[in-house]
Amino acid sequence: MDKKIDAKKRPVYINPYFGGLLLGLLILASFYIAGRGLSASGSAKLAVVEVVHLVAPEHAENNAYYSKFLPEDGSSPLFNWLIFGAIGTFFGGMLSGAVYGRLGKLRIEKSPKISNRTRLIAAGAGGILFGIGSQFGRGCSSGAALSGTSAFSFGGLIVMALMFGVGYLFAYFFRKLWI
Amino acid sequence: MWATSLPISLENYGFNKIDIMGPLIPLEIITGQWDFVIALLIGGAFGFILEASGFSSSRNIAGVFYGYNFVVLRVFFTAMIVAMVGYLYFSYMGWVDMNLVFVLPTYLNSMLLGGFIMGLGFVIGGFCPGTSYTAAAIGKIDGFVFAGGVFIGIFLFSEFFPLYEGFYTENYLGNITIGEMLGVSNEIVTFAFVLVAMIAFYLTWLIEKKVRKNMTEYKFD
Amino acid sequence: MKEELFISGRDIPNIDPYLNIWHWEIPVYLFLGGLAAGIMFFAGYFTIMRKEKEMQATVKYAPMLVPFALVLGLIALFLDLKHQLYFWRLYTTIRLESPMSWGAWTLMFVTPLSMAWAASYMKEVFPKWDWKFKFIDQIINFIIEYRKAMAWALMILAVILGVYTGILLSAFNARPLWNTSILGVLFLVSGMSTGLATIIWMSKSKYERKVLSRIDLIFIAVELFLIIHMLMGFLAASEVQIEAAQLFLGGEFTVVFWVFVIILGLIFPAILEILELRGFHIPIWIPSLLILIGGLVFRFVMVEAGQITRYLY
Repeated sequence: MDKKIDAKKRPVYINPYFGGLLLGLLILASFYIAGRGLSASGSAKLAVVEVVHLVAPEHAENNAYYSKFLPEDGSSPLFNWLIFGAIGTFFGGMLSGAVYGRLGKLRIEKSPKISNRTRLIAAGAGGILFGIGSQFGRGCSSGAALSGTSAFSFGGLIVMALMFGVGYLFAYFFRKLWI
Repeated sequence: MWATSLPISLENYGFNKIDIMGPLIPLEIITGQWDFVIALLIGGAFGFILEASGFSSSRNIAGVFYGYNFVVLRVFFTAMIVAMVGYLYFSYMGWVDMNLVFVLPTYLNSMLLGGFIMGLGFVIGGFCPGTSYTAAAIGKIDGFVFAGGVFIGIFLFSEFFPLYEGFYTENYLGNITIGEMLGVSNEIVTFAFVLVAMIAFYLTWLIEKKVRKNMTEYKFD
Repeated sequence: MKEELFISGRDIPNIDPYLNIWHWEIPVYLFLGGLAAGIMFFAGYFTIMRKEKEMQATVKYAPMLVPFALVLGLIALFLDLKHQLYFWRLYTTIRLESPMSWGAWTLMFVTPLSMAWAASYMKEVFPKWDWKFKFIDQIINFIIEYRKAMAWALMILAVILGVYTGILLSAFNARPLWNTSILGVLFLVSGMSTGLATIIWMSKSKYERKVLSRIDLIFIAVELFLIIHMLMGFLAASEVQIEAAQLFLGGEFTVVFWVFVIILGLIFPAILEILELRGFHIPIWIPSLLILIGGLVFRFVMVEAGQITRYLY
């Protein structure tokens, strides 16, 4: 099962240590300018609150969780630092994809050993789990693990340690998806 | 200020007590709605760096669990130690008031469960919400599906919230830092992190070489 | 009886006159008018330059959209009128000092002209098209002979239409945000930029996209320049204008303006277009869509913000 890898078609990535350096400087800049980091799951949560509020306003106000994030002055919950950070993340990724030649047709990336459907179901299931978990954990890998731990938060450290620890624990059972 | 109590007096080298204190937005140095515009730019840089490092591919991300691609660990650890060291440095120089920077509150039980579930989601889906946005931005359908799953997950969580509302807020330890919890200062925590990071970088380099020798069908970068 | 005149800051509904009366219809019309002006201008220009063969989408396909855009815009305007049954009175007089008169008559000429232009290319775009009446075929042949003259008329009227969308707002001297003559040119350039984005999206030939992308980049740069100088002009004027500019510099409209109009609507598409010209492959609908959305949001913001600025209270 030897496939000759065509050197020209390999995706070009920047050196991971350099990327980490830039990311660390960016988080530092975010702390300096805004006093907080980014959190992708936080932006997703606000989007869900907004949609529920649009569709069923009374339900949103009565539910103990949604009502926490509806601003009192009636403005949209989307009017938040995190939402614009998420919009920026989307377009920043698009720009990077354009520069490095990865911006292309719609495609699914997966291990050649599984089918497209399996990959999509796994992505969906992983997403749902992550959505639930990120609310318990008050953040995701960018919000809790990265920004949280960089600000020396104990909760961030717990979340990060558990995320990767549990991942390693269960990696064996899902190896068919990746290897 | 720390700057004046160091053994070498930095004032002789021009590092006077800087008057610019950060963070800028909580201190109203940048006012109005500009903070959202800045959020867009910071998010833009964030997405760019993530995508350029290879985080838009779920196979790269899941590689950290199987040993064939440790990019997640390298980028994360480097980012964390750079941010921590820089943060301490800024605090020394009086450029950032550490009390005004948001520290994630610790809800012990809830976070343990959250980390557990997220770990599962990580290894099954191969993304985290931020990287799924960048993957979606370059056209990966599984990125879209993952992001959609995140929305559905949050929706499910909120709908069943009354069931575990108590659990959610149990064991609130406040906005404590690692240092306060373990009884050491932030500097020692940073030092420990840097040490762990160095060891981890070396070990993962060895592991990756070994694993890649045995796997030939994966495109390595 | 002693009468007292007083000016107060109230805004009591049904008692005080309305302060905010232009809703979504006007920005939609301004956007469609600018878009149509942009497409028509370049259709005329490239016909005069005898480049019809290389610039097929500009000259043939995109002008098919113009009649629809104009009619939709006119419907939006009609919906906004208070006394809708009396709209025809606009066409009973020509008032050179009124921008609305200019606009009404320009649209009166431009709409049939663009329809004639589109009709003359129908056979080329849809080969099986049949006019069904002999005399229509004769009229079409007549039009085809006079395409060059029509192209000149199209260009000139397109510029007037584009400028008029801005002059319409700048004629309001009671609204400090609008009362600047730079708005006419700004809306013209913005309209041209959105028109170019549409043509680029519809185009199938690489050469055409390259030429139009270069022109579009120039227009985006000019538009950014004009916006910056408009804000600078406001900040250098009297207090009401400074307050009007503050709406965009830290006030309520800062985020929408800078994020959706400037960064996502002008700068980011420009970067993508530059990358495309340099050889990086970018799906062409992304910059075009962003420019179109940016143009629409820009007009919404200008109409909405303008009605908040005022002289008295």
